[in-house]
Amino acid sequence: MLQYVNVSIDGAIIRAVKGNSVLDTAIEYGICIPHLCHVPYLSDIGACRLCIVEHVVNGRSEITTSCTLNVEEGMVILTNTDKIRKLRRNIAELLVAQAPNSRAIQDIALRCGVKEVRYPFRNEDCVLCGRCVRVCAEVWKAQAIGFVGRGKDRHVDYPFGVRPDFCKQCGSCIQLCPMTITPCDGPMKPGEERLCGKCESQLMIADQTPDHCVWCKLGEGFGCGRYV
Amino acid sequence: MSRLNSSRELEHLRERLREQRQNIATTVMVCGGTGCRASGSSAVIDAIRDELSRQGLDLSVRLCVTGCHGFCEQGPVMIIEPGNVFYCHVSPEDAFEIVSQTVMKGEVIERLLYTDPVSGERVQTESEIPFYRAQDRQLLSQNLMVDPCSIEDYIVAGGYSALTKVLNAMAPEEIIKEVKSSGLRGRGGGGFPTGRKWSECQEAPGDEKYVVCNADEGDPGAYMDRCVLEGNPHLVLEGMMIGAWAIGAWKGYVYVRNEYPLAVKHSRIAVEQARELGLLGDNILGSSFSFDVDIARGGGAFVCGESTALMASIEGKVGEPRPKDVHTVVDGLYHKPTTLNNVETWANVPSIILNGSSWFASKGTQGSKGTKILALTGRIKNTGLVEVAMGTPVRTVVFDIGGGALDGKQVKAVQTGGPSGGCLPVDKFDLPIDFDVLSEAGSMMGSGGMVVMDEETCMVDVAKYFLTFLQDESCGKCVPCRLGIDRMLEIITDITEGRGRPEQLDLLEELADTVSQTALCGLGKTAPNPVLTTLRYFRSEYEAHINEKRCPAGVCKALITYLIDPDKCTGCGVCLRACVHGAITGGKKQAHVIDAQLCQKCGICRSECRFDAIRVA
Amino acid sequence: MPPQTLDQILEGRRSQPGQLIEVLQDVQENHGYISEEAMQAVSRGLGVPLMEVYRVASFYKAFRLHPSGKNVLTMCMGTACHVRGARLLLDQATGQLGVKPGGVTPDGLFSVERVNCLGACALGPVVTVNGSYYHHMTPGKLRKLIETLSRQETEDSQNVQAE
Repeated sequence: MLQYVNVSIDGAIIRAVKGNSVLDTAIEYGICIPHLCHVPYLSDIGACRLCIVEHVVNGRSEITTSCTLNVEEGMVILTNTDKIRKLRRNIAELLVAQAPNSRAIQDIALRCGVKEVRYPFRNEDCVLCGRCVRVCAEVWKAQAIGFVGRGKDRHVDYPFGVRPDFCKQCGSCIQLCPMTITPCDGPMKPGEERLCGKCESQLMIADQTPDHCVWCKLGEGFGCGRYV
Repeated sequence: MSRLNSSRELEHLRERLREQRQNIATTVMVCGGTGCRASGSSAVIDAIRDELSRQGLDLSVRLCVTGCHGFCEQGPVMIIEPGNVFYCHVSPEDAFEIVSQTVMKGEVIERLLYTDPVSGERVQTESEIPFYRAQDRQLLSQNLMVDPCSIEDYIVAGGYSALTKVLNAMAPEEIIKEVKSSGLRGRGGGGFPTGRKWSECQEAPGDEKYVVCNADEGDPGAYMDRCVLEGNPHLVLEGMMIGAWAIGAWKGYVYVRNEYPLAVKHSRIAVEQARELGLLGDNILGSSFSFDVDIARGGGAFVCGESTALMASIEGKVGEPRPKDVHTVVDGLYHKPTTLNNVETWANVPSIILNGSSWFASKGTQGSKGTKILALTGRIKNTGLVEVAMGTPVRTVVFDIGGGALDGKQVKAVQTGGPSGGCLPVDKFDLPIDFDVLSEAGSMMGSGGMVVMDEETCMVDVAKYFLTFLQDESCGKCVPCRLGIDRMLEIITDITEGRGRPEQLDLLEELADTVSQTALCGLGKTAPNPVLTTLRYFRSEYEAHINEKRCPAGVCKALITYLIDPDKCTGCGVCLRACVHGAITGGKKQAHVIDAQLCQKCGICRSECRFDAIRVA
Repeated sequence: MPPQTLDQILEGRRSQPGQLIEVLQDVQENHGYISEEAMQAVSRGLGVPLMEVYRVASFYKAFRLHPSGKNVLTMCMGTACHVRGARLLLDQATGQLGVKPGGVTPDGLFSVERVNCLGACALGPVVTVNGSYYHHMTPGKLRKLIETLSRQETEDSQNVQAE
């Protein structure tokens, strides 16, 4: 038996299913909250920090990730204040400066309003979103890959760096990885990295209506809950 | 010793032990804390023990190996009662004289006394020493009275009487009310009102609850908790027992960082001894209270000082913090209600119970009650552990207790709160030691570490140091902390290596603001603080690095040159021989010269020169 | 006391996943590092997935995944030591021995480790060698210390050869 609670998101009163996260609820109702590490059928870890919202409590607003915040009766959430948009933009800027060679990350940057990248570009091939690790552990229960090391050394690897025999090469990890979606013009060589945003996708229009779902290609290829 | 089955039996034991010690005429208290051991106190302890035995004094004189006394710079230290005679820099060879003269005859040995650096006079007693006089040593003074490996010492000194008071006369609600009225706030850095934490945990649903002692003490430059836990583990245990009784927990953990082997050892011994006497286990002292404690060791991760990471570590997992949308007092260790407090917080509880909340609240300021132990280190004369009443001005701590700067230099700032804190410039030293006042000034008190910096400390380098530390210690899970700290460090490194641009300062501030608001846990959220405070108070140093490519303090290697002052150089050749890079040339008795191209600024020549002829420009 | 075997370390803790860190610490203490073989045994013994054991072993700095040198120099990089020049000491050690921090010399005789505060702040800068504390160190004193240790090692190996 589903229980319902009423929450206010950006002023709209929404009837949400109790036990769902604010993020799932918002997406279902067509309010776009950009996210990267969230996948509808995997656990939420709050790692990418893109889905941050303002949770208004006792007159104060706390900034928290909507994927880890569960709906409760009377909750007041703001997803697109100037403050949130600026913070989200800065986080997206960090991501695209780290890994510009992914169309998904470039699209996220565009969606979050990144106009310039003020850091030297790097060309990493992993943003540590953890989607691969979680699908291997939670859906297939194999735990053939995981996070290894700490801080700057943190990376995804097999045990001892060698593929174990209990990895059945199902390909789920590759399917979910944002880095496998390369930029339209092809991979950027080191030294040639740039902020993309030349694509004529709906995301260009979306800049004017940042909180509305526009059924973007990014979400489709990316497993956004709206498409599920 | 046999199990105690009632409070009365504990009191009888206490009386018996005190009677046994009535024949002790003299007590020699030698510091066996990590600091003094590093200075060689183990050999001193052995020497005194042997000498007492040799002179047939082991029955009438008590040798007590205590925990840290606080004045580590002067170690090895010892105090002899009666007389409160304080000896410092003691070596094993002094044992014979100490025993024969001071212990036997009460005569003082002048050369072992402390010399006041200001007046130049010898000070005889511990209580007269300026370093100690300005302090209010509620917790630290207890270290002098007990051997941490002896529960008997603790009992003789009055230990576990707070426990009997609560078991016999105080309901859990009363205890929580007392702690609330005392105004005790968390001593680990958060400053959260302890009474409120306990009451929220007590009210949380569930029968299985935990109390945890955070002895991870990761802040570099802070060792207060080490001192309390190493030196008086039973005090901490007693605090935990009282807390457990109040919130309804029957299991506790002390999480000690891996780098404190002595604290681990002493805590384990203390738990064993308490179990033996029945002070831990089922039906403690015949009451309905059952409680036991396990010691868990850290694995070498600063992030495990964060409450959710610490609990994950106790559960055997990686120390990655989790979002705290539901607080740990409701959903903590093993997803059960958990009260986690710092070592010093627990250590304050027994005296609050015994002396009452108004006694505790009579010290300190409106918002910060009681006393605080500070680790005063860095570039001042008297370094060590200091305990002062809240509200004491920073100036008193640095100058009256700390004795001011080294070698005639000028104190520039004091760094408080570890990597989560900030730097307070010397013109703000009239501010009191107070949670809220210091937070407001941007330099939170944190766990109590206070590192003094002088004119030869580069504040940009300090920001770089903390960012490097945090980058190393970050768990790496969330983007703002992992990438944000990395990029802040990249910008600051540019600045210290002469590649800084003015617009980078604005970017640095914006990035710092983003990280502090969006990071997942406290480590990330407070990571920008050292950058933000040094920018706030020492912006001119940043600007000098950027606009003039100059490091005013003479630290940043890319921006300095090592020079030999021809007026001071005697041509002795020590530096020439010491230089491993072959950068120094010069004939005998002639002023030597450093080749800037070859010089790697390793600092060896400067540390070897006896004439102070090498300077940094 | 001879180092404990893996079986001895796992004794009384089998099938208790929560004991993972304690067990790894005992392995580290007894064997000097955590080998692949040890991790496999711990995984089986405690019932923890191998990936998780490897994850925990690589997360905590207390665990070394490779053997360390015969002489372990640990440099304290705490704040108090830093403002008294600890950086110069680290540069001295790594430069003189030709290793990176955390690394081992090719002959296996020396390794240089960094630690974030040993808690002996009043005596800084502090360097420990195989657990013995050296305080108020300077680059010059450190250079001499390393030279003495190297000489000692050369003498020892010559004595062994002579026998």
